[in-house]
Amino acid sequence: MFCIFEKRLEKANKCSYNKNNKSRTNIRMVIEMGQSVPAVTLEKSIEEKLKILSDAAKYDVACTSSGSDRRGQKGMLGNSVAAGVCHAFAADGRCISLLKILMSNHCVYDCKYCINRKSNDIARATFTPQEICELTVEFYRRNYIEGLFLSSGVLNNPNETMEKMCQTLRLLRTVYHFNGYIHVKAIPGASAELLYSAGLLADRISLNMELPTQASLGKLCPNKHMNQIIRPMNCISETIAVNRIAHGKTARLDRAGINRHLENSIFGETSRRIEANAAQSLQTMRFQYPAERMDALLHRDFAPAGQSTQMIIGATEETDFELIRTSQQLYQSFDLKRVFYSGYIPINDDTALPEIGTPVPLLREHRLYQADWLMRFYGFHANELLSEEQPFFDRHIDPKCEWALRHLGDFPVEINRASYDQLLRVPGIGPTGVKKIMSARRYGSVNFDMLKKMHIALKRAQYFITCNGKMLYPIPISQNFIRNQLTDLDRVEIAKIEGNTVTYQQMNLFRDFHMEGQA
Amino acid sequence: MIYYCCEKDWESVLTCIYEAWTQKRGQANIQLIFEPVVQYTLFDEYIHVKADTALAEKVVDAVNRKLSPQFYYEIAHVGMYEAPDVADVLFRVLLLGFAYGPYVLEMVQYKDIMRFREMRCSIGNEISHFREFTRFHEVNHRYVAIIEPRSRIIPALAEVFLDRMPSESWMIADLTNRMAVVHPKDGFYQFVDLTAEEMERLMEIEKNNDRMEVLWKIFFETTAIQERKNERCQKNLYPIWTRKHAVEFMEMRTEKQTCCENENVL
Repeated sequence: MFCIFEKRLEKANKCSYNKNNKSRTNIRMVIEMGQSVPAVTLEKSIEEKLKILSDAAKYDVACTSSGSDRRGQKGMLGNSVAAGVCHAFAADGRCISLLKILMSNHCVYDCKYCINRKSNDIARATFTPQEICELTVEFYRRNYIEGLFLSSGVLNNPNETMEKMCQTLRLLRTVYHFNGYIHVKAIPGASAELLYSAGLLADRISLNMELPTQASLGKLCPNKHMNQIIRPMNCISETIAVNRIAHGKTARLDRAGINRHLENSIFGETSRRIEANAAQSLQTMRFQYPAERMDALLHRDFAPAGQSTQMIIGATEETDFELIRTSQQLYQSFDLKRVFYSGYIPINDDTALPEIGTPVPLLREHRLYQADWLMRFYGFHANELLSEEQPFFDRHIDPKCEWALRHLGDFPVEINRASYDQLLRVPGIGPTGVKKIMSARRYGSVNFDMLKKMHIALKRAQYFITCNGKMLYPIPISQNFIRNQLTDLDRVEIAKIEGNTVTYQQMNLFRDFHMEGQA
Repeated sequence: MIYYCCEKDWESVLTCIYEAWTQKRGQANIQLIFEPVVQYTLFDEYIHVKADTALAEKVVDAVNRKLSPQFYYEIAHVGMYEAPDVADVLFRVLLLGFAYGPYVLEMVQYKDIMRFREMRCSIGNEISHFREFTRFHEVNHRYVAIIEPRSRIIPALAEVFLDRMPSESWMIADLTNRMAVVHPKDGFYQFVDLTAEEMERLMEIEKNNDRMEVLWKIFFETTAIQERKNERCQKNLYPIWTRKHAVEFMEMRTEKQTCCENENVL
């Protein structure tokens, strides 16, 4: 009798390993019932799996297909465009560029904020590699997606999970001849060799930091440690740099062209350090060389679109200053291509987290993205935008306007003479606008009419610029006046972000006309 | 005023530019317009210009040689744009180009250059929209897409999808301009004009949805986070006029359902 039971157990485990889609609970249930293992009857349909696993993956923010430029080839399917392509926009207004799915939502970890934590009683499923490949290729041919975003819950252990993910990507690249974009999530704790395989198969590799400090991580993710995240992140960063040098490129990733004109950009200072690290790594050859390295079919760069990460905001008590300072460090130290911010959506009932029904901090997330853009494209540093004394962004006006109001002495700037750096710091003027102004200035002077036609946001910029020595209207250079004007502009935008359609308010003599002191 | 009138296709526009240039009637006295002319005026002269490949090629050659291939790329894109003043603006931009050189496109001080840049931006956006939102349907391992753009963007889309799917057989039909691009597997694409009957047959393809289309709709709906729902943002980024043939906004009907309904009707 015992022998039969053992055989059944063995058969059940084997079946589970081969099919990759049956939870341990199901196996136990089958064995307890004393039946033969009905693997087929318990199999979920692909529709059900897609529903479960795309639902489980939707809280991951990164869905970009940018950073990798690769032309199509005969006999292959797909290409990759540097700017990325959004193929649809979901009901929440977020771009759908990649088929964002989990390989499995079974997880041995119990992170408090995560929908897939092991203590949650939810439907579980696991895709087979073939199913993922079929879905990706068929969706791609129909022009629904630009590629695949593959993440996963931790199945048994990080190495096993990462190995299965690599197996899927290898199948997609070699058997299905998929040449489109792939974004793969690195599982914290997976071995360096597996990370190297994943990077060679994918375009972008990312590792979610989720929380910026060890204290928050310890509070919400009992099974994770900051070292498990920082070490692989560093390893990936160095591998990218070494690989780029080996291909005759610079160690650092290519950044937006506007950074070439900015002397004090965050990408300016640390390049030497990264190059030195890469050179040292080349000498010591600390990297593993898995089978992919020698495979002629996979003669690819290592993660050509770089690596990215994601941080949850609103679940713990970090300030905006801590978050953007961490982001700046990540950009500088690990040469990350992007840091994503995810406003925490209360999905789990837990005393350590905001209670269910708490509004998602969308405006805060928006302000953090604005600050992130200011650091990557406008030459700002984190400590210029916020400080220990003022650790949060103003709700009412954007970070660039806020900075400009604190530095009114630098304004107004003359459009026809200002440098790249000065123009980029004017609210309402972005990198595209600056390029247009600079090219137009070569052939004559620029006036306000031209700026309007260049789509410069004069509603913001008018307070900070002059054209040929004149402002658009006679405007008092007063902090209160300009702040009120800009707040009024942003009220509609804030209402849109927060989903509040009522944008009017009762006028208040003391608040709106600054008569508090006189009252 | 002398009006040079031509059809909207690229060859006619270039021929019209050639005629307007060579007849030397004074650029302030002439204007290039598209046919049909809705209302003729009594004291103006109207000259109909018929497309001529040889003359159009002369313009193409002159632009490539005297200006630059990049300049030709830019004007060819604006040539696809749907607006009544396209031919006239192109003519004036070319006049400025031949006078000042290829960098004239940066001289926004000229109002024609500014208008040219506006049109270039709009056509670029429209091409991007359809590069993103064109949806293919599988018919016997061939992929067919139907679109209804505002401008004649099919040549630009053909280049995009040639690079994306070089080893697939596909076809994109433009219902607005009644033309299609057909790409055979591992071959080069060609343009064909569509008849009314062909267009009707093409419309039939959209009536049935296969399994992948159902799966895509499931994915599209599941991937949205309800707590962050923002239809205004969605409409802004995914304009309603581009959704006409988008699978994700269609009601799913499998072949079986359509057959059953047809039987009921019979």
